[in-house]
Amino acid sequence: MSSVLAIKPLSNTPASTRRVRHVDKSTFLVLPACIVIAAALLIPLANVLLLSLNRSQPGVIELSSNFTLANYTRFLWSPFYMRVLGKTVYIAAMTTTLCTVFGAILAMAIWRAPQHLRGVIVIVVISPLLVSIVTRTFGWMIVLGDNGLINSTLMSLGVINEPLRLMFTDGAVIVGLLHVFLPLMVLPILTALDRIDPNVPQAANTLGASRFTTATEVVLPLAAPGLVSGITIVFSLSMSSYITPALMGGPDSGMITTLIYQQFVVTFNWQFGATLVAILLAVSLVLVAVILFEFARRTRKWMVRQ
Amino acid sequence: MTDIVQGYSFRIVVWALYIFLLAPLVCVVIVSFNYEPVQSFPPSAWSLRWYGEALRNSNFVNGAFVSAWVALGATLIATPIGVMAALGLWSSSSRFKPALEALFIAPIIVPGLVTGISLLVALSAVEMRAAPVKLLIGHVLIVLPYVIRTTLASLAQINPSLKEAAETLGASYRQTLFEIILPLVRPGIVAGMIFGFILSFDDVNVSLFLVDARTTTLPISVMSYLQYSFDPSVAAISSLMIAMTFVITLVLERMFGLKRLFAGH
Repeated sequence: MSSVLAIKPLSNTPASTRRVRHVDKSTFLVLPACIVIAAALLIPLANVLLLSLNRSQPGVIELSSNFTLANYTRFLWSPFYMRVLGKTVYIAAMTTTLCTVFGAILAMAIWRAPQHLRGVIVIVVISPLLVSIVTRTFGWMIVLGDNGLINSTLMSLGVINEPLRLMFTDGAVIVGLLHVFLPLMVLPILTALDRIDPNVPQAANTLGASRFTTATEVVLPLAAPGLVSGITIVFSLSMSSYITPALMGGPDSGMITTLIYQQFVVTFNWQFGATLVAILLAVSLVLVAVILFEFARRTRKWMVRQ
Repeated sequence: MTDIVQGYSFRIVVWALYIFLLAPLVCVVIVSFNYEPVQSFPPSAWSLRWYGEALRNSNFVNGAFVSAWVALGATLIATPIGVMAALGLWSSSSRFKPALEALFIAPIIVPGLVTGISLLVALSAVEMRAAPVKLLIGHVLIVLPYVIRTTLASLAQINPSLKEAAETLGASYRQTLFEIILPLVRPGIVAGMIFGFILSFDDVNVSLFLVDARTTTLPISVMSYLQYSFDPSVAAISSLMIAMTFVITLVLERMFGLKRLFAGH
């Protein structure tokens, strides 16, 4: 203790000069990453957003300075595009809702699991994240296909005579997305749960709260920050998922990303494709902001109630 | 202590969820040992023929080489940049720190599809047509945020007095960095590298717009194969990918604990 006190004035004297050098060093250290992210992500993204304001000209890829909102009005006045947008939001909302419920359950199971089992369970829960999305989708084709796991089991049990149509439906897309994104919901909730003082739920029990009440009224509100970050991640990623709907969806399960791919790769209408990208990002941002706002409002109400 | 987690209905739901998470992966592995060229579940006869078939498919083999080289290159480029950024962020007390943190997480927040499209448009504008270079740039963006996050997570666990002690004892900034700090955060750096490598190797969303007819990654060649045929050679190549990932994951969990990679701090 005394040595710390003895050093303090020493390091205090050149404080101003040291601080300047210190800032310079950390600026130098973060600079390459800033340049990479700005040059490879932010500037290209801004470029795409500007391109969406150019008149659509299939085959033309350069940005011109004649800006117009024509692409946006084309989108907004078309019932077809609005329907696809509605479908995208519907599938993302369903995926997020199911992910929230099941993610909370799984996170609580891991939280309560004995320490030696925890690593294994975490690997099971994270495994979908670490396997290519193509492999996972292929796995679901085997499970849900006409000769797949579910149909052949049900048929050999005599429950059904003909295979159920499970693949190439909206339901298949939602199941596939749920599988992909569940780990991204579990992990933030688990982090929030790990911060809860174990005495708190115990106190609730001692004071006579039922198991269900403890879970829903005590533990979950305390884990709310994790829930919210999970919901934010899962919702925005579901909105922009492409592979799962493309491989598992039916002819009318097209999401906005399907249209984006067509505009960029098939019809080469990059200006309209860029418009679809901008609309996708804008709608995701607005809806996520609504979720965050609603959460803040509820938290305030909850705090006032206490 | 009574707790909802001990209830039977809760346990049944949890087990159903474990099965839900693992079933598609297990099914892929089972089907890969099928004998018949038509996929049926469960297989009626067993063989290893589809592994041979998959390894003779030149699209898969070339794709695997492209994916491996791109993932390796991207990891080697992103690691020094990411470690430097993490060190800078750690020692920074600047008021721009939250903005920097947001910037470093941007490649995760921006959807992969949008990253790929943005790069496609920008690189076409500067007439960059070489697919390997385009892929490499895109994949550096995939790996970078994870290296930064795992390194930061390790740095956060260093006892600050170690650094102070080294400085008090007269170590230069360089000595403190290379002899005290970097050895302590090495597990975090390695975990970030491995994890970034896996994500880059498995990526489809960013790569989709950056590949061309001659240079395609493994997941994308598997995807295009899936759109035309459905034989078990896809299951075989997928099983090999699962096996690779699983081994790496086990190593990673032993070294670092996986939860921290995603959950933030």
